[in-house]
Amino acid sequence: MRCYNCGAILTKRNSCPGCGADVELYKKIIVVSNRYYNDGLEQASVRNLSGAIRSLRECLKLNKANIDARNLLGLIYYEMGEVVAALSEWVISKNLLTEGNIADDYMDMIRNNPQKLDATNQTIKKYNIALKYCNKGTLDLAVIQLKKVLSINPRFIRAHLLLCLLYLNNGNYAKAKVEAEKTLKIDTGNVMASRYLQEATEMIVPGDESEEEIAEAKEEVVRYKSGNEMIIQPKKTASLRANFPIWGIGLGIALGICATYFLILPSKLQQAGTTNQQTIIAISEESDAKSAQIVQNETEIQSLQEELESLKSQISTYEGTDSSMAAVNNLMEATAIYLSTPSDIDAITAQLDSLDLNAVEGSISNEFTDLYDSLMSHVGSELAVSYYNTGYEAYKNEDYETAITNLSKACQYDTTNVNAFYYLGNSYYNSGDTDNAKVVYDKVVTDFPNTQSAQAAEAKLAEINNASN
Amino acid sequence: MINFEEELKKFKPSIEIEDAEDAIYNQDLDDMADVLVKFVKQAYPETDNNNRTVRPNKNMDQ
Repeated sequence: MRCYNCGAILTKRNSCPGCGADVELYKKIIVVSNRYYNDGLEQASVRNLSGAIRSLRECLKLNKANIDARNLLGLIYYEMGEVVAALSEWVISKNLLTEGNIADDYMDMIRNNPQKLDATNQTIKKYNIALKYCNKGTLDLAVIQLKKVLSINPRFIRAHLLLCLLYLNNGNYAKAKVEAEKTLKIDTGNVMASRYLQEATEMIVPGDESEEEIAEAKEEVVRYKSGNEMIIQPKKTASLRANFPIWGIGLGIALGICATYFLILPSKLQQAGTTNQQTIIAISEESDAKSAQIVQNETEIQSLQEELESLKSQISTYEGTDSSMAAVNNLMEATAIYLSTPSDIDAITAQLDSLDLNAVEGSISNEFTDLYDSLMSHVGSELAVSYYNTGYEAYKNEDYETAITNLSKACQYDTTNVNAFYYLGNSYYNSGDTDNAKVVYDKVVTDFPNTQSAQAAEAKLAEINNASN
Repeated sequence: MINFEEELKKFKPSIEIEDAEDAIYNQDLDDMADVLVKFVKQAYPETDNNNRTVRPNKNMDQ
């Protein structure tokens, strides 16, 4: 306990050790407040909520800062269905003590369930509407409203009491008794509920009950209670009772099938459809990824092919270069041999035989051509004679292949030797190569007219043409 | 015999959640301790240099 003046902790003395204020009366007030709190706690523990509320209110009148009493009061209000009153107490409690206050937990519990709070608010509104109906005199509507309220919040004591009063007014003493008993179950010390219960019990006299039973027997009805309701139904016939189980089972099966077909099956189908849709989406995504990969691979292949073509062309260039280099080497070797031993025609011939002018055609330089022409001017005639002699000997021996090779060289090195051309043509003709034979014969006729060789070549051409026709 | 009209007067409308704020603000929180402090101030005005501190009290022996 602290001093109301300076906040110092009080001792057993009747004056404050801090400021010296007289705290005797203050202590007594706090003691009485705590006693009321203890009474309220004891009453709440036995569900005497009305008594607990009275005690706790007295406690708070004496000491508003009794946090435990205020929190307990809020809890009792909440139990009775008075949510707003409960929240009021907890909010005030929270303002008086901000840290370590259980009122925080209570308010969080309500805040975290907004649907329930809204439902409770609706019950309060409906109760107020029902009260208005009662004041207006439309008691039936009030009963309907109150039944709705109690179906949502069965612990709303005020609604129970008002409904009990309406039943008493209507003469439904049995229902009134039920409502009163329900109220006393929630709040054992509720004086109003006790009075209503006493009234209802007194009004339900034994004589009236027997008359009611007789009336029930005459009417052949059966009455029984089900919750708030009194059920009255006619007695069933034997035949209906005998067949009821079979009809009931059949009806239940039919209802089950209908419920399955209309309620469960559509949701299952929808679930299956959703699953399939998800599978399709996954497959589509995978397919798209693979398509993208394929496109990328194709692009890569195309670029690699282009690179391959480029490399091939480079290779062919290098080959050409290699061929050109070989030809240059052969020419230079032949030139070197001529310079060292001009009479060694065979060695020069061997080098020039290795020289493939067709391979270097298009890539030879002017210097190469000049050197070749110069070398030919010195050794060309001798080479031509050498090749002619070799070729003619082969021609006579009917070795036309060797003849063609050597006579071709002879014609290359000496374009004025008509005999070389003529015998070359004959070699082609005799070996069956009439196409090349025609070319050579034609050259003989053109380049060497008015010679015997030309005349003979003309005759050969006519033979070839006649043979082809 | 219960008088319906008389009993009905005892029933008052319940406060709705929308009216909770006003209900809290309009609550009179003065208690006996506050009344005592006022009396003391009136009786001894020269020693009025205090503000009543409000702290939670568990029992008297604190």
